[in-house]
Amino acid sequence: MSHEYVPEIAVDREGKEHEVQGWQDDIYGGKLGFWLFMFTEVMMFGSMFLVLTYYFTLHHQDFLNASAGLNRTLGGTNTVVLLFSALTMGLGLLKMRAGDVKGAKLMIWATIFLALVFLGIKAVEWNAEIHHGIFLTLPALQAGNPDSLPFGQILFFGMYFTMTGLHGFHIIIGIGIMIWLLKRINAGKVRPDHHILHFNIALYWDLVHLIWVFVFPYFYMIGAGDIGGVAHGH
Amino acid sequence: MSKTYFDETHCAIGHPKSTFWQWMLTIDHKRIGIMYAAVMFTFFFVAVLTALAMRFELYAPGAQYMDGDTFNQAFTLHGVIMVFLFIIPGIPAVFGNIVMPLMIGAKDVSFPRLNWFTFWLYIVGCLVALASLFNFNIQEGELLFNFADTGWTFYAPYSLNTGTNVITTLVAAFILGMASILTGLNFLVTIHRLRAPGMDFFKMPLFVWGIYATAWIQLLATPVVGITLILAMMEKFFGIGIFDPSKGGDPVLFQHLFWIYSHPAVYLMILPAFGIMSEIIPTFSRREVFGYRTIALSSASIAGIGYIVWGHHLFTSGMSDIAKTIFSFLTFFVAIPTGVKFYDWVATMYKGKIVLATPMLWALGTIVTFAIGGLTGVTIAMVGGDIHLQDTYYSVAHFHYAILGGVVFLLFAGLHYWFPLVTGKMYNETVAKLAFWMNFVGINLLWFPMFIAGYLGMPRRYFDYLPEFEIYHEVSFWGAIMLVSGLFIMFYNLIQGWRKGEAVGVNPWHATTLEWHMPTSPPPLENHTKVPYVDFNPYEYHHGEPVVKFDENMKRID
Amino acid sequence: MGTNTTVDYKKEYAGYWKVLIGLLILTAITLVQPGMFLTDYTFATQMLIGTIKAWMILMYYMHLKGEKLIIWFTWFSIFLVAYFFLLVGIDVANFQFGDVSHITSPAQ
Repeated sequence: MSHEYVPEIAVDREGKEHEVQGWQDDIYGGKLGFWLFMFTEVMMFGSMFLVLTYYFTLHHQDFLNASAGLNRTLGGTNTVVLLFSALTMGLGLLKMRAGDVKGAKLMIWATIFLALVFLGIKAVEWNAEIHHGIFLTLPALQAGNPDSLPFGQILFFGMYFTMTGLHGFHIIIGIGIMIWLLKRINAGKVRPDHHILHFNIALYWDLVHLIWVFVFPYFYMIGAGDIGGVAHGH
Repeated sequence: MSKTYFDETHCAIGHPKSTFWQWMLTIDHKRIGIMYAAVMFTFFFVAVLTALAMRFELYAPGAQYMDGDTFNQAFTLHGVIMVFLFIIPGIPAVFGNIVMPLMIGAKDVSFPRLNWFTFWLYIVGCLVALASLFNFNIQEGELLFNFADTGWTFYAPYSLNTGTNVITTLVAAFILGMASILTGLNFLVTIHRLRAPGMDFFKMPLFVWGIYATAWIQLLATPVVGITLILAMMEKFFGIGIFDPSKGGDPVLFQHLFWIYSHPAVYLMILPAFGIMSEIIPTFSRREVFGYRTIALSSASIAGIGYIVWGHHLFTSGMSDIAKTIFSFLTFFVAIPTGVKFYDWVATMYKGKIVLATPMLWALGTIVTFAIGGLTGVTIAMVGGDIHLQDTYYSVAHFHYAILGGVVFLLFAGLHYWFPLVTGKMYNETVAKLAFWMNFVGINLLWFPMFIAGYLGMPRRYFDYLPEFEIYHEVSFWGAIMLVSGLFIMFYNLIQGWRKGEAVGVNPWHATTLEWHMPTSPPPLENHTKVPYVDFNPYEYHHGEPVVKFDENMKRID
Repeated sequence: MGTNTTVDYKKEYAGYWKVLIGLLILTAITLVQPGMFLTDYTFATQMLIGTIKAWMILMYYMHLKGEKLIIWFTWFSIFLVAYFFLLVGIDVANFQFGDVSHITSPAQ
């Protein structure tokens, strides 16, 4: 398939020519396809937020209490880190479109670095929870033993680790595809005049950021402020 | 003269010389569709034989050939194969792939390499499903049949506490779901981007509308069940508590999440089938379809309404009364666009020159059987009625009339309709008609008694029953024998037709849509000789003959 | 992305930074809101701020401004998810067995 793609021409009854859109070189199609893929991610994370809302309704106070115990400083820092990583990703795309390939690669590296920082802070947070005895399969999140947390808190933390875990998994995948993007740029397959791959990967990173925009307040902020006589965490 | 797509193909990797690797690596939509069909129908027969085994067991009360636990595994296997391996890939995987691009004048789908990947993802899903059948005991070197015994609905908490291989099956379902999503994505972009010049949305054939509406369901509904399966695995392995009452979790939430996908899934099944009906009826009535626009928009409406009614599967689960009322009210609405289609099809046939060829027989038979399936759905959409009929044979008869008598019958209609296109040959018409009648009489003998048995109280998924229900099971059994015989005869006839049938030209039905204007049957690798400019409607007939004519260079000669 | 038109580098560069500042301000508001204003409506306020941030990200960082078809698709998906929340929300908000269910009133 090394031959150059030449679009076919269809001729109508008046003799006017119309270019036939082929599946090759369809940039808008590539963009459309990736947006459709992102909708599936929205449905997936949306369903998890649905589970969260279901139990927030059934176990309202427990959720607020559990949220109060999360580390807002670390969570807030991560929010800012991810925000800047969205900026660097966007600037990288802009530089690619403007012809500055070297600058684009630098920005991608910056994004990877910030993503790693995010993961590092998340690891610190999870470690702190484990240190408090709160983690999947530990007694605090089981039922019927002396260390068991109340129902709503068990469910809150179960979903906390599941959702931040899945989100972190998507960040790891994001780092992987950014490294792959750098390879494609070096191979000349992604260039200022043909960069739909870069565009789509930037969209992916924005989606990862978008999910965190809702994860952060839902888990960390609902229990901030006065929630009814509970001592706050750090 | 162009080579046919059996002679050469485009490949995902390299340019292999051997035919085997050309098929394994093909990115050509026509070959991929054929491979899907081969695998799907193999699994279909396994599921049919499983059901037949259940019918043997249920002929008389008491245990004859299997115990209760094995029976539970049997109906789970039947459901899992039929739903996840056969009917959900279904018509989109076969005819969506083979025919849809031809109908819009495209050379392939928008992402052919993704299409290739998706097919093999489907195969991996099938293999994982096969792996979930057995546990291999290494020490004793024995194979223990340990397939899930939960029903294909996998309700928590039982599914997470049973000792059978539920998790492996959930993994298989997740992989198969990904394949469904990617197919939907591919078809959506294809239909938006690759239509021939001049073909706007309201000049597309109605089958393409059906595939389009279906693709939206594949794309947006499937991820919900995907994450449900992941959450079930998290519950099983890490005890996060979301479906476990001992930790404050609610099993009804599993049902909500499961049916948020699985109800739209049934519209995913029927919409392409209705698309096939909309192709066959005008061709064999030799008339333009009545109400093209309303049929097209009804496909979109059914998809839309299908998303919002899932709660009617939860009427007896403990859902709140107000939710039951809302879901019941909304469920009735889906009958309206469906009814519109039926009226439009009948109106198309009125004053047409009906040709009772095999595809038309299947289509007409479906109008009867799906009408029964659809109308009985309305009776259980009423909350009061459903309290008594839920989980009885009445529901089972309803969905088998709708899925077997609707989706599968129309799939068979499509097989007979597009057979000459794909193979260049024709099957034996007499044998085909015999097979149809055996299927049609068989399905009614098999399933109609079940409406009565269910109404009188026969529960579903029950291994044993009271003697008063024995007569219904006996009649059903003989209906099953007739149906299965009809299936064997039908497939034998189609296979013989492909091997030794009479060669036919490119448009034996004198139909109007673009897939019938290929230079050869089967079509060449690159599809149409030249993509035409489409300034005509898809079903233009005049006095029973197609209006739009092309010569072999796709130049208009009418 | 394929056959590209000219890029107004300065304008777009400034645009990215402006959106960043906006998002940083909204993040700051998120962090102080529970202690400062609308404190009885923290959940709703937090979700509202998140929605505004999401809109800015979608329109500018994800270049939806200027698209037509994809915006229709986005609205459709959002409405669908919202509908799921609405109906499941109605169900759970009218949970009928609050007094007797082990989930909500476990026997001590």
